[in-house]
Amino acid sequence: MTSTPLLPAGSAIRARGAVRRRTDGVDALVVALWLACGGLILLPIGALLVLAGRGDQLGVLLHGDVLQAGANSLFSATVSALAAVVIGTTFAVLLDRTDLPGRTVLRLLALSPLLMPPFVGAIAWLGIAGPTSPLNLWWRGTFGAPLWSIYGADGVILLLTIHSYPIAMLIVSAALRRIPTDLEQAARISGAGPARALTSVTVPLLRPALVSSFVLIAVGNLADFGIPSIIGLPERFVTLATLVYRYLQSGTVDDPLAVVATIGVVLLVLALLALVADGLLARRGWELDSSNAVPERTPLGHARVGVGAMMWAVVLLITVLPLLALLTQTLLRAPGVPLTWENLTLDHLVRAVTTPSALAGAANSTMLASLAAVICGILGLAIGVVVARTSGRAPRALGAVAMVPQAIPGIVIAVAWLILAPSLGLFNTPWLILVAYVTSFTALVVQAVAAPLSATPTSAEEAARVAGAGRLRALVDISARMATPAAVAGAVIVAVTAVRELTLSVLLLSPGSQTLGVAIFNFQQAGAFSTASAWSLIVALVGLAVIGLATRRTS
Amino acid sequence: MSRMRSTVPLALLGVAAIALAGCSSSTSPAATAEPAAGALEPATITLYTSEPQEKADELVAAFNEIHPEITVEVFRAGTGDLTTRVATERESGGIQADVFLAADAGTFEGYAAEGLLLEYTPADVEALNADVVDAEGFYTGTRIIPTVIAYNTGIITEAPESWQELTDAAYADQIVMPNPDVSGAAAYNAAVWLDDEQLGEEWMTALAENRPVIADSNGPVSQAVATGAQPVGIVVDYLVRELAEQGSPIAVSYPSEGVPYVSQPVGIFADTEQAEAAQAFVDFLVSEEGQKLAVEQSYLPVRSDVGTPEGAPSMDEITILSPDLETIRSTQDAAVETFRSLFLR
Repeated sequence: MTSTPLLPAGSAIRARGAVRRRTDGVDALVVALWLACGGLILLPIGALLVLAGRGDQLGVLLHGDVLQAGANSLFSATVSALAAVVIGTTFAVLLDRTDLPGRTVLRLLALSPLLMPPFVGAIAWLGIAGPTSPLNLWWRGTFGAPLWSIYGADGVILLLTIHSYPIAMLIVSAALRRIPTDLEQAARISGAGPARALTSVTVPLLRPALVSSFVLIAVGNLADFGIPSIIGLPERFVTLATLVYRYLQSGTVDDPLAVVATIGVVLLVLALLALVADGLLARRGWELDSSNAVPERTPLGHARVGVGAMMWAVVLLITVLPLLALLTQTLLRAPGVPLTWENLTLDHLVRAVTTPSALAGAANSTMLASLAAVICGILGLAIGVVVARTSGRAPRALGAVAMVPQAIPGIVIAVAWLILAPSLGLFNTPWLILVAYVTSFTALVVQAVAAPLSATPTSAEEAARVAGAGRLRALVDISARMATPAAVAGAVIVAVTAVRELTLSVLLLSPGSQTLGVAIFNFQQAGAFSTASAWSLIVALVGLAVIGLATRRTS
Repeated sequence: MSRMRSTVPLALLGVAAIALAGCSSSTSPAATAEPAAGALEPATITLYTSEPQEKADELVAAFNEIHPEITVEVFRAGTGDLTTRVATERESGGIQADVFLAADAGTFEGYAAEGLLLEYTPADVEALNADVVDAEGFYTGTRIIPTVIAYNTGIITEAPESWQELTDAAYADQIVMPNPDVSGAAAYNAAVWLDDEQLGEEWMTALAENRPVIADSNGPVSQAVATGAQPVGIVVDYLVRELAEQGSPIAVSYPSEGVPYVSQPVGIFADTEQAEAAQAFVDFLVSEEGQKLAVEQSYLPVRSDVGTPEGAPSMDEITILSPDLETIRSTQDAAVETFRSLFLR
C-alpha cells in the first residue's frame, strides 16, 4: 500500500516502441481511457474548482458556522485517525508477533467493523451508549444522572475510530510481514529482551506504514457523513460533511451550490496536503526485502492470559455488542418499555422488510451497485493493464489520475456531480448516483489490478509479441486475462461497498431513486428507530456473511 | 417524471403489486366494486410529501385500491427539504412533483401567490371543515395536526399545563423540540408563538434559556420523550398517541394558552401533465375512505363523519390558536431566523 510501482521494467518493449512510432490499437485504447478518466474524474473536479473560483465565496469560509464545522471536522478526523493508528498497530503487533491465544478468530473479529457501514454502526451504538441505553438507564436509576451519552464530539470520535482502526491494522500487518525478523534476532543476540527487540527494532521500521495509514484514515474520516449526522448533530457537533448536507437540503443559505463547492475545495485541499505530507514523510522510509523466514513470535510470558483476556473483551465489545443492541432495538415492542420477554415482538422486523420504500431502496441499491461493479471492473481492468504493461508519459499520468479519487472525500465527489448534473441532463435521475459511484470506486479496481500485474514478469507478453501478436493483442490476450481474477475481486469489493453506501447517495438522490442507505437513514431521521434498526441488522449480518465467505476462500 | 425504469426494481415492484392486489381483492370486495365509476386513464404521478414514510406507503396502497390504474411515486422528506428541492427544480428544468402534501398552509399560500398551483376544489368539499379549505381553491387541508406538550409518564408526575410553564427552571435540560429548518410544522409554530400576545419573543427567549435539545424533526422528538432521554417534548400530537398505544410511557398535555396546528394541505402543481390523476388523488385524501385511513393513522380528520382516533380529544375540547395566515406567511422566515439565533447558536 505504501509504494505501488506503476511501471514495470519492460525495457525491451519500451525500446522497440520508441523505434516504431506508429499509432496502433494501444494508443487508441490509451486515448479512450484518457477520455473516460477525463469525463469521470477531471471534469467534475474542474466544475467544482470553476464554481468555487467564480464569484466571491471567501466570505463564506469565514462565516462562523463554516469555521466551527471546519474546526470540528479537523479535530474529529485527526484525533480519530491517531487513535485508530494506535489501536490498529497494537492489534497488528499483538496478533502477528506474539503468542496471543486465539489469534486467528481474533483477527477476523477485529476486522469486522470495517465490514459494517459506519452509519449502521452509529445506529447500533445508540443502543449501547445512547442516553436511554439499558446501561445509562440503570446508572441514572442508581446515581441520578446517565453515565455517558454517545451523542457529541466524543461519540463521533469513538465511532470514527472503531470503524477505521481495521484499516491501520491491515496496513501495519502487511508492513510487519515485510520486516525480516533477522533484525530482531540480531538485537536479541546483542542482549535485548523480546519486548525491547520488538519495540526498539520493529516498531520504528513501521513508520512509513503508520504515516500512510494515518493519512488514509484521516482523509476518509474527514468526509464521513453518517456518524457525525446521527451521533454529532443531536449535540450540535456540526462537521463540514453535515453542514454541506444541511446547506443543500434546507435552503438556509443563498446559492447553496456555490457555497458548498467552496467548502468542497477546502476539503480537497486538506486531503491533498495530507497526501503531500504522506509523500514527504513516508517515502523517506526504508526499503526492506521481504523475508521468507517465519517470524519468531515474542512470548508474552506471564502477561499472556491477561493481555489475551483484555483483547478478547475489547474485540467482543466492539463487534458483538452492536449487533446485540440492534437486535434489541428491533425486537422491543415500543420505545421506553423495559427489556423483558413479554415486551419483545417480531412485528417491527416483519413491517420493516415489507415496507415498499425500503424494498425499492434495496432494489435500487442492488441495481446501482451491480452496474457500478461492472463498469468499474472493466474500466479498472483496462487502466490497470495499460498502466502496468505500457510505458510512456500518457499511461503513467493516466494511472495517477485514476487513483486521485481515492484521496478525495466522497462528499466532494457528490457535490462536484451535483454541479454538473443539470447541464448533463442527469438531474433527478438515478444515473447521477451511478456516475458518482464510478468516479469514486474505479480506483479500487485499478489498485487491485495494477499492483500484482506489475509484479509479474512480462515474459508471456514478449513471447506473444515474438510469435507475431500486435501490442494490443498481447495486452488483451495475455495481460488482461492474467489480471481478470484481480479485476473481478476488485469489482466485488466495489459492489459490496456501493450497495450499502450513504455519503454519496444522500446528496444525489432523486424521487424514485432512493438507495438502501438513504432509506435506513430516513427511517432514523423520521423517528422510526425500530425499522431503522431492523434494516441495519439485516445489512450488517448479510454484509458480514458475504464478506466472511468471500475472504475465507482466499485466506 | 423519473427515469428510474430498470428491470430490477420493476420486477420487485411487480411482485409487490401482485401480492398487494391479491390481498386487497380478497379482503375488501366493497372497494373493488367502486372503481368502475371512476376509472381513469393509466398514469403515473409523483407525490412530494412530509408524511412519515410508512404512512405515505399505506396512503398510496389505499388509494390504489380505488384507482389501481394510477401509479404514485412517493418522495418523502421534511417540509423544509421539500421546499428547497422544489426551488432547485424550478431553476433547473421544472418541478418534478405533481402533487404536494406537506405541513402548513403558509407554504401553499406562497406557492399560490407565485402561480405555481392548479386551482382545484375537491369533490365533497361541503363535508370538510371550512377552516382548512383555501377560499381561492388552490389547496385543501387533509389532517388537523396540533403541536402539544408530550411528557414521559415514568419520569414526570405532574404534567406541564401551559407553554409558559416550560420556561420554569425545573425543566432546564429536560426539553426536546423539532428544528424549524427541517420541520414545516415547527417553522409554522415558531411564527405562531412569536405572533401570540401571551408568548412572543420574551417567552421564546426564556424557553431557550432552558437549553432544549433540538432534534431534526418530530419523529425523533417523540422517541426521545418515550424513551426518557428528554422527558418533555414539544411535538405533534398523533406521534404521542401512536407511541402510547404501542405501550410507551408517554402522554399528551394540551397547553392552556392554546395549541397551534397545521392542516397538512394538499395541492397540485400547475404544470402537471397528469391533472386528472392528481385530482383523483386529492379527492381520495379528503373522501370518507381517505379520512377514515387518516383516523386509523392517529390523525385528527378534516371531516366530522369519520370519528376521531382513540384517545384524541374532539376539536371543541381544546383551545386552538388560529392566527391570521397572511401574517404567519409573511413573518415565518424571520421567525425561523429568530428561532435559530436563540436556540441554535
